[in-house]
Amino acid sequence: MTFWREAGLNYVRYSQICAKIVRQCLKADLREAAAKRNESTVKAVMWKDGKPVPAAK
Amino acid sequence: MLSRTSLQFVPASTQVRGMATLKEISMRLKAVTNIQKITKSMKMISAAKYSKAERELKPARSYGVGAKAFYEKLEVDCEKHQANHLVVAISSDKGLCGAVHTSIFRAIRAMVGDKPASNIKVVAVGDKMKALLQKDFKNNLLMTMKDIGKSPPTFSDAAVVANQIMSCGYEFDSAELFFNHFRSIVSYNTTTIPLYSVGTISEADNITQYDSIDEDVLRNYQEFSLASLIYFAMKESACSEQSARMTAMESASKNAGEMIEKLQMTYNRTRQAVITRELIEIISGAAAL
Repeated sequence: MTFWREAGLNYVRYSQICAKIVRQCLKADLREAAAKRNESTVKAVMWKDGKPVPAAK
Repeated sequence: MLSRTSLQFVPASTQVRGMATLKEISMRLKAVTNIQKITKSMKMISAAKYSKAERELKPARSYGVGAKAFYEKLEVDCEKHQANHLVVAISSDKGLCGAVHTSIFRAIRAMVGDKPASNIKVVAVGDKMKALLQKDFKNNLLMTMKDIGKSPPTFSDAAVVANQIMSCGYEFDSAELFFNHFRSIVSYNTTTIPLYSVGTISEADNITQYDSIDEDVLRNYQEFSLASLIYFAMKESACSEQSARMTAMESASKNAGEMIEKLQMTYNRTRQAVITRELIEIISGAAAL
């Protein structure tokens, strides 16, 4: 088992963190455009028994 | 319906109904012209967004094709109705784009039936999809995602969706992605991509054809392919949505144009009638003197 899975990450989360660090290493003029690709506006709402659960993280 | 109305007695006075006052007609004319302006500019916006989405779609396709081929080559015979099944519906938050959202909804309904079994869970990506699904399948909704489609989807968006699906606590054995596959500017088709959990993959017959795969590699690949398939599906559906919106807005502008033409005609005719009536009144008034 790899170290990051032991820390409770899955592969997608792990590669996201790696990608973020690679983007931070870019030259200044490219970094800004690349930093936008880090962000995501998507929000998730969990549902249970036909109703949305408000306290979603 | 049409023949019935034509059989009805039409009193002569109904002709007056078409003769709305000049002011009413001009107000209506103005309103329709404004709507046409809006639909025209919406068309221009979505045309620009569409060309960007199509440009971005080409590199995104390579993410999907490989992962899709892997799952298709596995040839898992899934007993859908015994194992836990997950349906991921990919659409967006915005409307006014024809039947993009409803066609996905119809495909899902055709797959799960009217009364879906309790082992089928649905993930709705996009507010429009949520609105459609919560009517019929609200007991099967697992989660909904919002704020999709405001900006072009990125891999981070797909990663968020994939992360949520993995961490929500629902262990699916097989899954299906529903999305609109972009074909050309005027056509898209609603397609599905199968997806399996690690357990299902390792039990598949064809997995033995791969060399030196251990549990870890398989799990990593399954997680990554989930994210990349979602990314692929999001890109495809974003592109089809913009193209559909473009077509919808174009026909809306065309219809508004036709309506304006008709209204203009009625307006002119009414104005003419008003002038004639006033003239008659003046002349007959003068003659009576």
